[in-house]
Parts: sequence; C-alpha cells; structure tokens
Amino acid sequence: MNDVAYGLERLLFNLDTLSELGEELTSPKDFNKIVKSSLYMIMGNFSAFKGAIFQFDHGKKTAKPIASKGIGDINDCVIKLEEETIKELVALKTPIDISSNKKATSFLGVGKTGLEKIKVRILAPLVVREDLLGLIAIGEKFSGEVYSKDDFRLLSVIAHHIAVSLHNQSLLRKLMGKYDENKKLYENLICIYYDTIHAFATAIDAKDAYTKGHSHRVSAYCAAIANEMKWSQDETEGIRIAGLLHDIGKIAIDKSIINKDRPLTNNEFVELNSHPVIGYEILSKVKFPWTGIPKMVRNHHERVDGRGYPDSLGSNEISLGSKIMTVADSFDAMTTDRPYRPSLTPDEVIMELKKNYNKQFDRDVLHNFFSIIRKEIVGENKPAIMPFLSSSFADELKTKVLNRTINLFSFEK
Amino acid sequence: MSGKVKNFKELEGCVVIYTDNYLNDIEGVKLEDECDVFLNRGKKKIVIDFANTELVNSIGISILVGIMEKVKKRNGILFFSSLKKVNHDIFNMLGLTKHISIFQTEEEAIGKMLAHE
Repeated sequence: MNDVAYGLERLLFNLDTLSELGEELTSPKDFNKIVKSSLYMIMGNFSAFKGAIFQFDHGKKTAKPIASKGIGDINDCVIKLEEETIKELVALKTPIDISSNKKATSFLGVGKTGLEKIKVRILAPLVVREDLLGLIAIGEKFSGEVYSKDDFRLLSVIAHHIAVSLHNQSLLRKLMGKYDENKKLYENLICIYYDTIHAFATAIDAKDAYTKGHSHRVSAYCAAIANEMKWSQDETEGIRIAGLLHDIGKIAIDKSIINKDRPLTNNEFVELNSHPVIGYEILSKVKFPWTGIPKMVRNHHERVDGRGYPDSLGSNEISLGSKIMTVADSFDAMTTDRPYRPSLTPDEVIMELKKNYNKQFDRDVLHNFFSIIRKEIVGENKPAIMPFLSSSFADELKTKVLNRTINLFSFEK
Repeated sequence: MSGKVKNFKELEGCVVIYTDNYLNDIEGVKLEDECDVFLNRGKKKIVIDFANTELVNSIGISILVGIMEKVKKRNGILFFSSLKKVNHDIFNMLGLTKHISIFQTEEEAIGKMLAHE
C-alpha cells in the first residue's frame, strides 16, 4: 500500500469511526452502553489495548471511571483533581501525551499517580463551555507506534463529541431529578387533596349522631352505580368525590334540627332543605378536576317526577350524576337507623325503592343499582355495596334474593 | 456470536473460533469472552476464522486487540484466517499485521498451528 492509498484508507476508516460514534452517541440505548461502545471505538481506531473514560464529579472534584477496557477492575481508581489541575485541563482542550509532556506531569498533581497505575499514555479532557465533564485516558498502541499529530486531532474531535453527549446526559439526569421531585410533590398534593375531602366528609357526618359514615357509603354506592353504567374512570372518580361532599351544606344547618327525633316544624324543614343549595354555593367556589360536582350536590334531592327540591326540576333537567346520588343517598338512609325510626328491612327497602320507581328514582339508575346487588349476591361483581350493609341485613337480603322471595326486577313488568 | 449455532471447533492441540457476519458492535465482546474461557482452560493455541465476517469496524478491532493482548500475556499463539481483503487492509493499516500471523484458509492456519512447538 503506497502512502496515498494508506492515507486515503486511514481517512475513510476515521470517517467511519466518527460516523458510527455519532450514531452511537445519539442512540436511545442505555448511557453506560453508549459510553462503553464509544471507548471501544476510540481504542479500536488507535489499536490501543488499555483505555478508560472517566466522569468528573464537580462536588467531590474527582474523576470516576464509567467505562474501561484492558485494565481489569478499576472501579476504585478514582482520580482526585486539584482546582488548578481542573483549570489547566479546561484550558488545554486538546489531548496531551502525559508520558512525554513534563508540563502535564506537573499540573496533574496527585491525579498523575492514578493515571500511571493504569498505564495511561494519552489524556483527552472532555470539556463543554469551559466545564470539565470527564477524561478519556488511553494507553499505548498495540503496534507500539507513537501517536501521530493526526491521531491527536482525531481524538480531539472524538472527545468533543463525547463531551457533548456527557453534557446532555448530565442535563437529562438533572431534568429527571426535577421530574421525580415534582412527581413526588404532585402525589403528595393528591394525597393531601383526598385526605382533606375525606376529612370534610367525616366532619359533615360528625354533625349527625345517626349518620356516621353516611357520606363515605353514599360515595361508594355512587361509584359502584357509575361503574355499572360504564362511566369512565375519571367520571367515576368525580361522582365518588361528589358523594363524599353531597351533604356539605349541612355544616351550616343547626345541629338540633339534624338530630331532632320528633317531626320538624315548617321553618326547620325549610332550613334543613336548604342544605343542597348551601352545598352548591360552597362547592361552586372550588376548582375541581372533575366537572359537575356542585350541580350533582345541588340536585341530589330532586325527583324525576318534578316534586323534589330545591329547584323542582323535571327528569330531563336533572343530571345523571344527581339521579345516581339520589338512589345512593336514599338507599343509605333506608338501611341505617335514623333518630325517628330504625333501619328498614330488606323487603321494605326494595319495596320502597320500587314504589318510587319513575317518581323519585330514575328507571335506568334503579335498574343498574339492583343489577349490582344481584351480581354481588351471585358473586359476579366484586363486592362494593354489600360490605357496607349490616351483616343481618346483608344476610337476609342475600337469602331472599337467592330464594326469589325478593324479586329485584319485578317493577319492570 | 450466536449462542445457538456451535461457533467453535476444538481440535487436539488447538481451538478454532468462527466469527459472525459482522464484528462491529459491543455484542462482539462475547468473542473476547469465549477466548477467555479457552485460555482459562489452558487452551493457548487459538485460530480465529473470519470466513463469515464481512465487516470489522473500530469496535471489532478493539475486541481483537484485546484478544491479541490476552493471548500474548499467556504466552499463547493466535492466528487469524480467511480474512476478506477489506478487513485485511484495515488490519494492515493499523499495523496489526506485523503482530499477528494471518492465513488464507482455516486449514492452513490449523496446519501451521499444530506444527508450532
């Protein structure tokens, strides 16, 4: 091979290496693998049999190996760099032959010992915008030939590419760190958000000695019905929250009225029945991530026959969410003791619900509600309603549905 | 290096390892690992046959230099065979042909290897 042919061959080989290095550095592979491949490319290009890439830690002022070849285990080969050495390396920008350059030996200080241990011949600083990011260290060529000026130039170009990649990786790591931090903050906020809503629900129910857990049960029943009616996960979550807050207006109602065990006077009725509107006013000022919550709360005492309160809306004007909430709220009222009466029996509850079909309750909602009860009893659905009922009530309901003493769907005939 | 197809031949006195189509990515390290296994078992005469290899790039060179260095350290003998011209030119350009015996065919390499004391 004559000199021209050799020169051309070498140039093409170098170009190939640079092109492959560019491809490698921009590939979506694991970063450690990219660094390792890059080191192999450099070493292959110069036929060196020892080499390593170090990443510089600004905090500790140390360079730690992130890839190596032909040196054995050098994980503990951490090179300490003095402030002056760092400045000199940044100023250098080009590779240096540390075995022949006495000046290099002096400014490397204590770091030289570490590099000598792994028989480094050439050192290329990895610098981006006056910032030292790492070092490429390579040993002798296998052929024993000395590194030429062209080798130094090529290594300088390669080092710059790798430095940019290290810089980008460092930025990405910082960004990922921030992302994780923000994600944790967001998750904490969500927890606080839910905890606050649950605390409100508990506070609402605490006003009424008889309705402990009422808001949580209504919330669970609403979510179960919405789920049965194929609402999306997000919409279901919305009605679950609405269920928890549906009686928030009761916070403004006198406790003696809520807990009264005798018939209410007209004025007391008016005050008690204002709780959906008060609830609406409170919740309208809250920016919920779900739509329709204030309206659902306002209309949870509306009836499909138009005889509900506070707005006496017709069936078409009542949202489906409010219709679901009406069934859930009434079912819980019927299945729990009240100041003025004990809990109804399963026969009485089912009869009451059927009696008010198409009057107080929406047909589809009631059908789906009964469907859930049946599915839970026969084991088709994961229990969502039954666990909240008293064991005696649940057992009796189950037996009667299975014996067909209670026919859940007879109202449809 | 494929793990499914047997890619080496153990003869009395030497081992022949066959390289894959390409020796151009970090997966090629398996070739170095395979040589390590034989060297650790005391097999110091190794022939690497490149008949199936179209391309050796800088990563491949790095792996081969690593093998050459390891065999040298163990006082072993390493021969290359069946190199395509393009790969031979690269080895030549990098000055490696001065340090490794390269044969036209696998049989020729084995013959020389077995004759070597």
